[in-house]
Amino acid sequence: MNHEPWLAALTGELRRHGVGPDLTGHVVAEAATHLLDSGESPLRVFGAPETYARAVVDSLGGPDVRPPRRQPGPVRLAARGVTKRYRGRTVLDRVDLTVRAGQIAAVVGANGAGKSTFLRICAGLLSPEAGTVEVHGTLGYCPQDGGTAEFLSPDEHFVLIGAGRGLGRTAARRAGRAEAAGLEWTPPRRTQARHLSGGTRQKLNLVLARLGEPDVLLLDEPYQGFDRGTYLDFWHEVWRWRDAGKAVVVVTHLLNQLDRVDVVLDLSGERNA
Amino acid sequence: MSRTLVVAEAALRELLRRRTVLVILLLMPLAFYLSRRGDFLGQSIRFVCLGLAWALSTAALFAGSAARGMEPRLRLSGYGSRHLVLGRLLALWTVGVLLSTPYFLLVLADQRDVRYGAIALIMALTVFVSVPFGLLLSAVLPRELEGTLVLLTVVGLQMVMDPAGSATRALPFWFSRELATYAVDHTDGGYLVRGLTHGLVFAVALTVLVVVAAAVRLRQRRHLRLAT
Repeated sequence: MNHEPWLAALTGELRRHGVGPDLTGHVVAEAATHLLDSGESPLRVFGAPETYARAVVDSLGGPDVRPPRRQPGPVRLAARGVTKRYRGRTVLDRVDLTVRAGQIAAVVGANGAGKSTFLRICAGLLSPEAGTVEVHGTLGYCPQDGGTAEFLSPDEHFVLIGAGRGLGRTAARRAGRAEAAGLEWTPPRRTQARHLSGGTRQKLNLVLARLGEPDVLLLDEPYQGFDRGTYLDFWHEVWRWRDAGKAVVVVTHLLNQLDRVDVVLDLSGERNA
Repeated sequence: MSRTLVVAEAALRELLRRRTVLVILLLMPLAFYLSRRGDFLGQSIRFVCLGLAWALSTAALFAGSAARGMEPRLRLSGYGSRHLVLGRLLALWTVGVLLSTPYFLLVLADQRDVRYGAIALIMALTVFVSVPFGLLLSAVLPRELEGTLVLLTVVGLQMVMDPAGSATRALPFWFSRELATYAVDHTDGGYLVRGLTHGLVFAVALTVLVVVAAAVRLRQRRHLRLAT
Protein backbone atom coordinates (compact mmCIF):
# COMPACT_ATOMS: atom_id res chain seq x y z
CA MET A 1 0.00 0.00 0.00
CA ASN A 2 1.32 3.49 -0.86
CA HIS A 3 1.36 5.61 2.29
CA GLU A 4 3.21 8.56 0.75
CA PRO A 5 0.17 10.82 0.11
CA TRP A 6 -1.03 10.37 3.68
CA LEU A 7 2.47 11.00 5.07
CA ALA A 8 2.87 14.10 2.88
CA ALA A 9 -0.48 15.39 4.11
CA LEU A 10 0.57 14.73 7.70
CA THR A 11 3.82 16.65 7.13
CA GLY A 12 1.84 19.62 5.82
CA GLU A 13 -0.64 19.53 8.69
CA LEU A 14 2.12 19.36 11.32
CA ARG A 15 3.81 22.36 9.75
CA ARG A 16 0.54 24.25 9.68
CA HIS A 17 0.11 23.54 13.36
CA GLY A 18 3.48 25.10 14.00
CA VAL A 19 5.43 21.93 14.72
CA GLY A 20 9.14 22.46 14.00
CA PRO A 21 10.92 20.61 11.18
CA ASP A 22 12.89 18.27 13.46
CA LEU A 23 9.88 17.10 15.39
CA THR A 24 7.80 16.84 12.20
CA GLY A 25 10.44 14.61 10.64
CA HIS A 26 10.51 12.45 13.76
CA VAL A 27 6.71 12.05 13.95
CA VAL A 28 6.40 11.29 10.24
CA ALA A 29 9.27 8.78 10.29
CA GLU A 30 7.73 7.04 13.26
CA ALA A 31 4.34 6.85 11.58
CA ALA A 32 5.94 5.56 8.35
CA THR A 33 7.77 2.80 10.23
CA HIS A 34 4.61 1.77 12.01
CA LEU A 35 2.64 1.63 8.76
CA LEU A 36 5.36 -0.36 7.05
CA ASP A 37 5.51 -2.88 9.86
CA SER A 38 1.77 -3.27 10.30
CA GLY A 39 0.82 -3.07 6.62
CA GLU A 40 -2.42 -1.38 7.66
CA SER A 41 -4.18 1.62 6.17
CA PRO A 42 -3.01 4.93 7.73
CA LEU A 43 -6.60 6.14 7.92
CA ARG A 44 -7.48 3.10 9.99
CA VAL A 45 -4.45 3.37 12.27
CA PHE A 46 -4.13 7.14 12.70
CA GLY A 47 -7.25 8.63 11.16
CA ALA A 48 -7.23 11.72 8.91
CA PRO A 49 -3.85 13.55 8.73
CA GLU A 50 -5.36 16.71 10.21
CA THR A 51 -6.87 14.82 13.16
CA TYR A 52 -3.62 13.03 13.90
CA ALA A 53 -1.58 16.23 13.60
CA ARG A 54 -3.92 17.94 16.07
CA ALA A 55 -3.55 15.01 18.47
CA VAL A 56 0.25 15.28 18.23
CA VAL A 57 0.13 19.02 18.90
CA ASP A 58 -2.21 18.54 21.86
CA SER A 59 0.13 15.95 23.33
CA LEU A 60 2.99 18.45 23.06
CA GLY A 61 1.02 21.11 24.93
CA GLY A 62 0.70 23.54 21.99
CA PRO A 63 2.62 24.46 18.88
CA ASP A 64 6.10 25.96 18.83
CA VAL A 65 4.92 28.78 16.63
CA ARG A 66 7.97 30.97 16.91
CA PRO A 67 10.96 29.79 15.00
CA PRO A 68 14.27 30.61 16.65
CA ARG A 69 15.56 34.02 15.64
CA ARG A 70 19.14 34.53 14.74
CA GLN A 71 21.35 37.55 14.85
CA PRO A 72 20.60 39.70 11.79
CA GLY A 73 23.35 40.08 9.18
CA PRO A 74 24.51 43.00 7.04
CA VAL A 75 22.13 45.61 5.63
CA ARG A 76 20.40 44.30 2.50
CA LEU A 77 17.94 47.10 1.82
CA ALA A 78 18.17 50.71 2.92
CA ALA A 79 15.49 53.19 1.86
CA ARG A 80 16.21 56.78 2.85
CA GLY A 81 13.86 59.76 2.70
CA VAL A 82 11.55 58.24 0.10
CA THR A 83 8.96 60.80 -0.94
CA LYS A 84 6.24 60.29 -3.52
CA ARG A 85 3.42 62.57 -4.62
CA TYR A 86 0.44 61.79 -6.82
CA ARG A 87 -1.41 64.77 -8.33
CA GLY A 88 -0.28 67.11 -5.59
CA ARG A 89 -1.06 64.67 -2.78
CA THR A 90 1.90 63.39 -0.78
CA VAL A 91 1.57 59.63 -0.49
CA LEU A 92 4.97 58.91 1.02
CA ASP A 93 6.75 61.54 3.08
CA ARG A 94 10.46 60.95 3.79
CA VAL A 95 10.02 57.27 4.53
CA ASP A 96 13.01 55.31 5.85
CA LEU A 97 13.39 51.56 6.09
CA THR A 98 16.41 49.38 6.81
CA VAL A 99 16.23 45.62 6.49
CA ARG A 100 19.13 43.32 7.26
CA ALA A 101 19.89 39.79 6.15
CA GLY A 102 17.79 37.45 8.29
CA GLN A 103 15.05 39.97 8.98
CA ILE A 104 11.40 40.29 7.99
CA ALA A 105 9.95 43.77 7.59
CA ALA A 106 6.20 44.29 7.43
CA VAL A 107 4.85 47.35 5.62
CA VAL A 108 1.42 48.16 7.00
CA GLY A 109 -1.11 50.93 6.59
CA ALA A 110 -4.64 51.66 5.46
CA ASN A 111 -5.78 51.43 1.84
CA GLY A 112 -4.13 54.18 -0.16
CA ALA A 113 -1.37 54.68 2.42
CA GLY A 114 1.23 54.00 -0.26
CA LYS A 115 2.31 50.47 0.71
CA SER A 116 2.44 49.12 -2.86
CA THR A 117 3.91 52.39 -4.12
CA PHE A 118 6.71 52.11 -1.57
CA LEU A 119 7.44 48.53 -2.62
CA ARG A 120 7.46 49.48 -6.30
CA ILE A 121 9.93 52.25 -5.52
CA CYS A 122 12.10 49.75 -3.61
CA ALA A 123 11.96 47.43 -6.63
CA GLY A 124 12.97 50.30 -8.92
CA LEU A 125 9.75 50.13 -10.91
CA LEU A 126 8.67 53.62 -9.93
CA SER A 127 10.69 56.77 -9.36
CA PRO A 128 10.19 58.79 -6.18
CA GLU A 129 10.27 62.59 -6.04
CA ALA A 130 13.06 62.29 -3.48
CA GLY A 131 15.02 59.65 -1.64
CA THR A 132 17.24 56.70 -2.44
CA VAL A 133 17.07 52.93 -2.15
CA GLU A 134 20.19 50.83 -1.76
CA VAL A 135 19.96 47.10 -2.35
CA HIS A 136 22.88 44.84 -1.48
CA GLY A 137 22.39 41.59 -3.36
CA THR A 138 19.85 40.27 -5.82
CA LEU A 139 16.22 41.34 -5.79
CA GLY A 140 13.02 39.30 -6.08
CA TYR A 141 9.62 40.96 -6.40
CA CYS A 142 6.12 39.53 -6.11
CA PRO A 143 3.51 42.04 -7.35
CA GLN A 144 0.03 42.23 -5.86
CA ASP A 145 -1.49 41.11 -9.15
CA GLY A 146 -0.27 40.38 -12.65
CA GLY A 147 3.29 39.25 -13.01
CA THR A 148 2.32 36.06 -14.82
CA ALA A 149 1.71 35.33 -18.50
CA GLU A 150 -1.80 34.07 -19.26
CA PHE A 151 -0.86 31.54 -21.92
CA LEU A 152 2.20 29.96 -20.30
CA SER A 153 2.23 26.94 -17.97
CA PRO A 154 3.94 27.12 -14.54
CA ASP A 155 6.95 25.16 -15.86
CA GLU A 156 7.31 27.59 -18.77
CA HIS A 157 7.21 30.46 -16.28
CA PHE A 158 9.99 28.81 -14.28
CA VAL A 159 12.14 28.44 -17.41
CA LEU A 160 11.48 32.04 -18.47
CA ILE A 161 12.28 33.64 -15.11
CA GLY A 162 15.03 31.12 -14.40
CA ALA A 163 16.89 32.02 -17.61
CA GLY A 164 17.08 35.62 -16.39
CA ARG A 165 18.62 34.35 -13.15
CA GLY A 166 21.11 32.26 -15.07
CA LEU A 167 19.40 28.91 -14.46
CA GLY A 168 19.17 26.25 -17.17
CA ARG A 169 15.82 24.74 -18.10
CA THR A 170 16.02 21.66 -15.91
CA ALA A 171 17.45 23.56 -12.94
CA ALA A 172 14.75 26.25 -13.26
CA ARG A 173 11.94 23.69 -13.38
CA ARG A 174 13.39 21.82 -10.43
CA ALA A 175 13.84 25.00 -8.40
CA GLY A 176 10.29 26.17 -9.21
CA ARG A 177 8.77 22.85 -8.26
CA ALA A 178 10.77 22.73 -5.02
CA GLU A 179 9.55 26.22 -4.06
CA ALA A 180 5.97 25.25 -4.99
CA ALA A 181 6.20 22.20 -2.72
CA GLY A 182 6.86 24.57 0.18
CA LEU A 183 3.37 25.96 -0.44
CA GLU A 184 1.89 22.45 -0.71
CA TRP A 185 1.41 22.96 -4.45
CA THR A 186 2.30 20.60 -7.27
CA PRO A 187 2.23 22.71 -10.45
CA PRO A 188 0.25 21.01 -13.23
CA ARG A 189 2.44 20.35 -16.26
CA ARG A 190 0.23 21.62 -19.07
CA THR A 191 -2.27 23.97 -17.46
CA GLN A 192 -1.83 27.56 -18.59
CA ALA A 193 -1.80 30.31 -15.97
CA ARG A 194 -5.16 31.67 -17.15
CA HIS A 195 -6.80 28.40 -16.11
CA LEU A 196 -5.38 28.47 -12.56
CA SER A 197 -7.54 29.68 -9.68
CA GLY A 198 -6.75 33.09 -8.19
CA GLY A 199 -5.00 31.61 -5.16
CA THR A 200 -2.99 29.13 -7.22
CA ARG A 201 -1.95 31.85 -9.59
CA GLN A 202 -0.74 33.84 -6.63
CA LYS A 203 1.30 30.82 -5.51
CA LEU A 204 2.91 30.83 -8.94
CA ASN A 205 3.57 34.54 -8.55
CA LEU A 206 5.28 33.94 -5.22
CA VAL A 207 7.33 31.01 -6.51
CA LEU A 208 8.56 33.15 -9.40
CA ALA A 209 9.75 35.82 -6.97
CA ARG A 210 11.78 33.18 -5.13
CA LEU A 211 13.43 31.62 -8.18
CA GLY A 212 17.18 31.93 -8.03
CA GLU A 213 16.95 32.59 -4.28
CA PRO A 214 17.36 36.37 -4.34
CA ASP A 215 18.88 38.06 -1.28
CA VAL A 216 16.06 40.59 -0.92
CA LEU A 217 12.42 39.63 -1.37
CA LEU A 218 9.74 42.25 -1.87
CA LEU A 219 6.28 40.73 -1.45
CA ASP A 220 3.19 42.85 -2.11
CA GLU A 221 0.30 41.13 -0.28
CA PRO A 222 1.28 37.84 -1.87
CA TYR A 223 -1.27 35.73 -0.02
CA GLN A 224 -4.40 37.10 -1.71
CA GLY A 225 -6.70 34.23 -2.55
CA PHE A 226 -4.81 31.77 -0.32
CA ASP A 227 -6.86 29.43 1.82
CA ARG A 228 -6.08 29.23 5.53
CA GLY A 229 -3.67 26.31 5.17
CA THR A 230 -1.69 27.95 2.36
CA TYR A 231 -1.63 31.22 4.29
CA LEU A 232 0.03 29.44 7.24
CA ASP A 233 2.38 27.65 4.83
CA PHE A 234 3.28 31.03 3.40
CA TRP A 235 4.34 32.43 6.77
CA HIS A 236 6.31 29.29 7.55
CA GLU A 237 8.12 29.77 4.25
CA VAL A 238 8.82 33.42 5.09
CA TRP A 239 10.35 32.39 8.40
CA ARG A 240 12.39 29.74 6.64
CA TRP A 241 13.72 32.34 4.19
CA ARG A 242 14.60 34.60 7.10
CA ASP A 243 16.45 31.74 8.78
CA ALA A 244 18.35 31.22 5.53
CA GLY A 245 19.60 34.80 5.78
CA LYS A 246 17.24 36.48 3.33
CA ALA A 247 15.83 39.96 3.86
CA VAL A 248 12.06 39.88 3.35
CA VAL A 249 9.74 42.88 3.01
CA VAL A 250 6.03 42.01 3.13
CA VAL A 251 3.21 44.42 2.49
CA THR A 252 0.36 43.31 4.71
CA HIS A 253 -2.83 44.56 6.27
CA LEU A 254 -3.20 41.49 8.47
CA LEU A 255 -1.93 42.82 11.77
CA ASN A 256 -2.03 39.47 13.60
CA GLN A 257 1.32 38.56 12.03
CA LEU A 258 3.15 41.66 13.21
CA ASP A 259 4.49 40.06 16.37
CA ARG A 260 6.30 37.54 14.18
CA VAL A 261 8.26 40.05 12.12
CA ASP A 262 11.39 41.99 13.01
CA VAL A 263 10.68 45.45 11.62
CA VAL A 264 7.36 47.25 11.14
CA LEU A 265 6.95 50.19 8.80
CA ASP A 266 3.58 51.78 9.48
CA LEU A 267 2.63 54.11 6.64
CA SER A 268 -0.69 55.18 8.14
CA GLY A 269 0.96 57.29 10.85
CA GLU A 270 4.32 58.66 11.82
CA ARG A 271 5.63 55.43 13.33
CA ASN A 272 8.49 54.44 11.09
CA ALA A 273 10.86 51.71 12.28
CA MET B 1 21.68 35.38 -26.95
CA SER B 2 20.18 32.49 -24.99
CA ARG B 3 18.07 34.87 -22.91
CA THR B 4 16.77 36.47 -26.10
CA LEU B 5 15.88 33.05 -27.45
CA VAL B 6 14.07 32.08 -24.24
CA VAL B 7 11.97 35.26 -24.47
CA ALA B 8 11.32 34.58 -28.16
CA GLU B 9 10.25 31.03 -27.40
CA ALA B 10 7.87 32.12 -24.64
CA ALA B 11 6.40 34.88 -26.82
CA LEU B 12 5.94 32.45 -29.69
CA ARG B 13 4.20 29.93 -27.44
CA GLU B 14 1.86 32.64 -26.18
CA LEU B 15 0.99 33.72 -29.71
CA LEU B 16 0.49 30.21 -31.06
CA ARG B 17 -1.85 29.35 -28.20
CA ARG B 18 -4.29 32.10 -29.16
CA ARG B 19 -5.86 29.89 -31.76
CA THR B 20 -8.88 32.05 -32.58
CA VAL B 21 -6.63 35.05 -33.02
CA LEU B 22 -4.37 33.05 -35.30
CA VAL B 23 -7.28 31.97 -37.50
CA ILE B 24 -8.49 35.57 -37.82
CA LEU B 25 -4.94 36.74 -38.55
CA LEU B 26 -4.63 34.13 -41.25
CA LEU B 27 -7.96 34.94 -42.86
CA MET B 28 -7.77 38.74 -42.76
CA PRO B 29 -5.30 39.11 -45.68
CA LEU B 30 -7.31 36.54 -47.64
CA ALA B 31 -10.41 38.72 -47.32
CA PHE B 32 -8.37 41.67 -48.62
CA TYR B 33 -7.06 39.58 -51.51
CA LEU B 34 -10.43 38.23 -52.57
CA SER B 35 -12.12 41.63 -52.30
CA ARG B 36 -10.10 42.92 -55.28
CA ARG B 37 -9.29 39.77 -57.16
CA GLY B 38 -12.06 40.27 -59.72
CA ASP B 39 -11.31 43.80 -60.98
CA PHE B 40 -7.59 44.38 -61.30
CA LEU B 41 -4.63 42.05 -61.02
CA GLY B 42 -2.31 44.41 -59.18
CA GLN B 43 -4.88 45.67 -56.71
CA SER B 44 -5.38 42.23 -55.17
CA ILE B 45 -1.62 41.99 -54.57
CA ARG B 46 -1.46 45.46 -53.04
CA PHE B 47 -4.45 44.67 -50.85
CA VAL B 48 -3.16 41.33 -49.63
CA CYS B 49 0.06 43.06 -48.55
CA LEU B 50 -1.92 45.73 -46.70
CA GLY B 51 -3.99 42.97 -45.10
CA LEU B 52 -0.78 41.30 -43.92
CA ALA B 53 0.51 44.60 -42.61
CA TRP B 54 -2.71 45.22 -40.70
CA ALA B 55 -2.86 41.69 -39.28
CA LEU B 56 0.77 41.68 -38.14
CA SER B 57 0.71 45.19 -36.70
CA THR B 58 -2.39 44.30 -34.70
CA ALA B 59 -0.81 41.06 -33.45
CA ALA B 60 2.32 42.99 -32.41
CA LEU B 61 0.24 45.70 -30.73
CA PHE B 62 -1.65 43.19 -28.59
CA ALA B 63 1.45 41.07 -27.88
CA GLY B 64 3.28 44.21 -26.73
CA SER B 65 0.40 45.29 -24.50
CA ALA B 66 0.03 41.81 -22.98
CA ALA B 67 3.75 41.72 -22.16
CA ARG B 68 3.73 44.98 -20.19
CA GLY B 69 2.65 43.29 -16.94
CA MET B 70 5.39 40.70 -17.10
CA GLU B 71 8.30 42.81 -18.36
CA PRO B 72 9.20 44.62 -15.11
CA ARG B 73 9.42 41.25 -13.37
CA LEU B 74 11.61 39.87 -16.16
CA ARG B 75 13.82 42.95 -15.95
CA LEU B 76 14.25 42.40 -12.21
CA SER B 77 15.03 38.75 -12.86
CA GLY B 78 18.15 39.67 -14.78
CA TYR B 79 16.98 40.38 -18.33
CA GLY B 80 18.15 43.48 -20.13
CA SER B 81 15.56 45.46 -22.07
CA ARG B 82 17.35 44.42 -25.27
CA HIS B 83 16.70 40.73 -24.49
CA LEU B 84 13.01 41.43 -24.03
CA VAL B 85 12.58 43.54 -27.17
CA LEU B 86 14.70 41.42 -29.46
CA GLY B 87 13.08 38.23 -28.21
CA ARG B 88 9.62 39.58 -28.89
CA LEU B 89 10.65 40.95 -32.29
CA LEU B 90 12.12 37.58 -33.19
CA ALA B 91 8.91 35.76 -32.22
CA LEU B 92 6.69 38.16 -34.14
CA TRP B 93 8.92 38.18 -37.20
CA THR B 94 8.72 34.37 -37.20
CA VAL B 95 4.92 34.56 -37.04
CA GLY B 96 5.05 37.12 -39.86
CA VAL B 97 7.09 34.84 -42.09
CA LEU B 98 4.76 31.91 -41.32
CA LEU B 99 1.75 34.08 -42.09
CA SER B 100 3.16 35.51 -45.33
CA THR B 101 4.37 32.27 -46.86
CA PRO B 102 0.92 30.86 -47.78
CA TYR B 103 0.00 34.20 -49.38
CA PHE B 104 3.17 34.23 -51.42
CA LEU B 105 2.30 30.71 -52.57
CA LEU B 106 -1.22 31.89 -53.36
CA VAL B 107 0.09 34.69 -55.57
CA LEU B 108 2.51 32.25 -57.16
CA ALA B 109 -0.36 29.92 -58.06
CA ASP B 110 -3.01 32.50 -58.88
CA GLN B 111 -1.18 35.33 -60.69
CA ARG B 112 0.66 35.27 -63.98
CA ASP B 113 3.16 37.63 -65.55
CA VAL B 114 4.24 39.35 -62.33
CA ARG B 115 7.69 39.72 -60.76
CA TYR B 116 7.50 37.15 -57.99
CA GLY B 117 10.80 38.22 -56.44
CA ALA B 118 9.47 41.74 -55.95
CA ILE B 119 6.31 40.36 -54.34
CA ALA B 120 8.43 38.29 -51.94
CA LEU B 121 10.33 41.50 -51.18
CA ILE B 122 7.11 43.39 -50.39
CA MET B 123 6.01 40.65 -48.03
CA ALA B 124 9.41 40.49 -46.31
CA LEU B 125 9.47 44.28 -45.83
CA THR B 126 5.86 44.19 -44.64
CA VAL B 127 6.87 41.73 -41.91
CA PHE B 128 9.89 43.81 -40.90
CA VAL B 129 7.92 47.08 -40.81
CA SER B 130 4.58 46.03 -39.34
CA VAL B 131 5.98 44.15 -36.32
CA PRO B 132 8.01 47.06 -34.86
CA PHE B 133 5.20 49.43 -35.88
CA GLY B 134 2.68 47.48 -33.74
CA LEU B 135 5.16 47.16 -30.87
CA LEU B 136 5.92 50.89 -31.00
CA LEU B 137 2.21 51.70 -30.79
CA SER B 138 1.90 49.42 -27.74
CA ALA B 139 4.88 51.21 -26.16
CA VAL B 140 3.54 54.70 -26.80
CA LEU B 141 -0.15 53.97 -26.22
CA PRO B 142 -0.49 51.60 -23.29
CA ARG B 143 -4.23 51.08 -23.80
CA GLU B 144 -5.00 48.62 -26.58
CA LEU B 145 -8.08 50.47 -27.82
CA GLU B 146 -6.10 53.65 -28.46
CA GLY B 147 -3.43 51.70 -30.33
CA THR B 148 -6.02 49.88 -32.40
CA LEU B 149 -7.67 53.16 -33.41
CA VAL B 150 -4.33 54.61 -34.54
CA LEU B 151 -3.66 51.45 -36.50
CA LEU B 152 -7.06 51.68 -38.16
CA THR B 153 -6.36 55.27 -39.10
CA VAL B 154 -2.94 54.52 -40.59
CA VAL B 155 -4.06 51.54 -42.67
CA GLY B 156 -7.25 53.35 -43.70
CA LEU B 157 -5.21 56.35 -44.86
CA GLN B 158 -2.86 54.03 -46.68
CA MET B 159 -5.83 52.77 -48.68
CA VAL B 160 -7.62 56.02 -49.45
CA MET B 161 -4.83 58.57 -49.93
CA ASP B 162 -3.44 59.25 -53.38
CA PRO B 163 -0.25 57.16 -53.46
CA ALA B 164 1.40 59.65 -55.82
CA GLY B 165 1.11 62.45 -53.24
CA SER B 166 4.20 63.15 -51.20
CA ALA B 167 2.27 63.04 -47.90
CA THR B 168 1.66 59.31 -48.28
CA ARG B 169 5.39 58.69 -48.05
CA ALA B 170 5.11 59.45 -44.36
CA LEU B 171 2.93 56.36 -43.97
CA PRO B 172 4.82 53.18 -43.04
CA PHE B 173 3.46 50.93 -45.79
CA TRP B 174 3.86 53.26 -48.78
CA PHE B 175 6.70 51.05 -50.05
CA SER B 176 4.26 48.24 -50.83
CA ARG B 177 2.51 50.41 -53.43
CA GLU B 178 5.77 51.28 -55.17
CA LEU B 179 7.05 47.73 -55.15
CA ALA B 180 3.68 46.32 -56.25
CA THR B 181 3.68 48.70 -59.22
CA TYR B 182 7.15 47.46 -60.11
CA ALA B 183 6.06 43.83 -59.71
CA VAL B 184 2.74 44.02 -61.54
CA ASP B 185 3.14 46.76 -64.16
CA HIS B 186 6.78 45.93 -64.96
CA THR B 187 7.83 49.53 -64.51
CA ASP B 188 11.44 50.71 -64.40
CA GLY B 189 13.84 50.12 -61.52
CA GLY B 190 13.08 53.51 -59.96
CA TYR B 191 9.98 52.07 -58.32
CA LEU B 192 12.05 49.21 -56.92
CA VAL B 193 14.69 51.54 -55.49
CA ARG B 194 12.16 53.97 -54.00
CA GLY B 195 10.09 51.15 -52.49
CA LEU B 196 13.08 49.28 -51.14
CA THR B 197 14.61 52.43 -49.63
CA HIS B 198 11.32 53.48 -48.03
CA GLY B 199 10.70 50.01 -46.58
CA LEU B 200 14.23 49.62 -45.23
CA VAL B 201 14.28 53.10 -43.70
CA PHE B 202 10.95 52.46 -41.93
CA ALA B 203 11.97 48.96 -40.81
CA VAL B 204 15.24 50.20 -39.30
CA ALA B 205 13.79 53.40 -37.83
CA LEU B 206 10.81 51.65 -36.24
CA THR B 207 13.00 48.87 -34.81
CA VAL B 208 15.41 51.42 -33.32
CA LEU B 209 12.50 53.37 -31.84
CA VAL B 210 11.04 50.21 -30.27
CA VAL B 211 14.42 49.35 -28.71
CA VAL B 212 14.86 52.91 -27.40
CA ALA B 213 11.28 53.05 -26.02
CA ALA B 214 11.82 49.77 -24.13
CA ALA B 215 15.20 50.92 -22.82
CA VAL B 216 13.60 54.11 -21.47
CA ARG B 217 10.54 52.38 -19.98
CA LEU B 218 12.52 49.55 -18.38
CA ARG B 219 15.56 51.59 -17.35
CA GLN B 220 17.07 51.23 -13.93
CA ARG B 221 15.76 54.20 -11.97
CA ARG B 222 18.26 56.66 -10.64
CA HIS B 223 17.16 56.41 -7.01
CA LEU B 224 17.95 52.67 -6.92
CA ARG B 225 21.53 51.62 -6.25
CA LEU B 226 22.18 47.95 -6.72
CA ALA B 227 25.32 46.57 -5.13
CA THR B 228 25.54 42.87 -5.91
